[in-house]
Amino acid sequence: MKTGLEGLDPRTKLVLVLCLSSLGVFIQDISILAAVLGISAVLSAASGIRFFMMLKKFRRILWLFLAIAVIQSVFAPSGSILLSLGGIKVITAGGLYKGTAMMLRMSIVMVSATIMATSNSREIVQGLVQWKIPYEIAFMVSVAIRFLPLLTDEIKNVVTAVQLRGIELDRIPVRQRLKVYSYLIMPVVSGAIIKSRELATTMETRAFRAYPKRTSYMVLTMQRADHFIIFISLSLSILTFVFYFKVF
Amino acid sequence: MIEPYIELDDVSFAYKKDAPVIGGLSLQLYREQFTAITGPNGSGKTTLGKLMTGILRPQIGRIFICGRDSTEMKLGEIGQRIGYLFQNPGLQIFAPSVREEISFALELKGEDKGEIQEKVSRSLKDFDLSHLADAFPFRLSRGEQQRLAIAAVLINSPGFLILDEPTTGLDMERRRALSEILAGLRNKGIGMAVISHDRAFISRLADRTIRMYGGEIVEDRT
Repeated sequence: MKTGLEGLDPRTKLVLVLCLSSLGVFIQDISILAAVLGISAVLSAASGIRFFMMLKKFRRILWLFLAIAVIQSVFAPSGSILLSLGGIKVITAGGLYKGTAMMLRMSIVMVSATIMATSNSREIVQGLVQWKIPYEIAFMVSVAIRFLPLLTDEIKNVVTAVQLRGIELDRIPVRQRLKVYSYLIMPVVSGAIIKSRELATTMETRAFRAYPKRTSYMVLTMQRADHFIIFISLSLSILTFVFYFKVF
Repeated sequence: MIEPYIELDDVSFAYKKDAPVIGGLSLQLYREQFTAITGPNGSGKTTLGKLMTGILRPQIGRIFICGRDSTEMKLGEIGQRIGYLFQNPGLQIFAPSVREEISFALELKGEDKGEIQEKVSRSLKDFDLSHLADAFPFRLSRGEQQRLAIAAVLINSPGFLILDEPTTGLDMERRRALSEILAGLRNKGIGMAVISHDRAFISRLADRTIRMYGGEIVEDRT
């Protein structure tokens, strides 16, 4: 039994995610971005996503966020200098501001995307088809969503396989470590190509696109709550944009 | 008294809560033995193999490798002592050529280039892969990938090998060749645990057969 936001129509979830990620991408102000991230996290938790598990997963890419903050500071310095080494501005107030904004932006996109994870790929396809999006394109979207965890598994397998060859990743020099990470690309890309070819063959054998019109056993129906949430999220997003960009 | 190479002490493991795949299992594996692990699908053989190599960590109990608690060892450290062949060899192949797949670990460990070349050439010959040395590993057949994965594991000279269904996808001739290679490794003093359904293959080599059912050992015959 689906409870809370989890039970919403996938189209409603899609609108929610689009609104949140659009706000994340276009807005520059840190306090508004922080608020959008907070709302995304609350909605994600209300969708049944285990919040602490999600935080644990994001912890692994925290170093990437920090690296972005430093790179922004070095290459786009502005404002007062907070840290300089040998005349090079390593961290500036403006750079730190932009770096933090970038971190928040990426977090919003990732956290809000977890809301979609509570719908299965079949429901997402059906939602898109009922929005009059061609079935082939809707199916491609669902395949892309389905493939993502497989790619993650593939990366994990390679990292495990490398370590099982007696390589201690945290003990080898950075240059060699980068070489090891370059090995991740090969099996992931070739695995994806092989899997997509197999999937295409399977679809052909099941007569995919044999008939111009498809009927579906599953038909999604929007409830009052769906309409209400779509209305509220679109209205709030438009209002935020209007006030933020001072359109009028 | 001979010390076990791998020792499991009351180990339990579950992928999902309240559904243990391995339940309170204790076992000693010796370098001097060729151990076959058999049992029906879902009996926990592959999970046991992954626990012994540190890919999975036990939720209850402890696993010792060469007398050291495996929870204190990193995967790389375990990999220096135990070689593991995945059930699907395609999962452990990652280099752009067969030659590089085999030489990878030695190069990263900074071994002499001349020695690496010599070892790789010998390995290619032993596993009948010389004609495929520059081939793209992901285009190889399942049997060829199997041989490549074993060759890449063995180049590291591990003291113990765990092979998960090594005969899958191999024809009779290749099966016989693999059997000879494993017998040769046993004679060199490398311990082995082979997870397999292939009774004919096991019976030729095994000194000890462990049969699993429902995550427990139901028979341990020497």
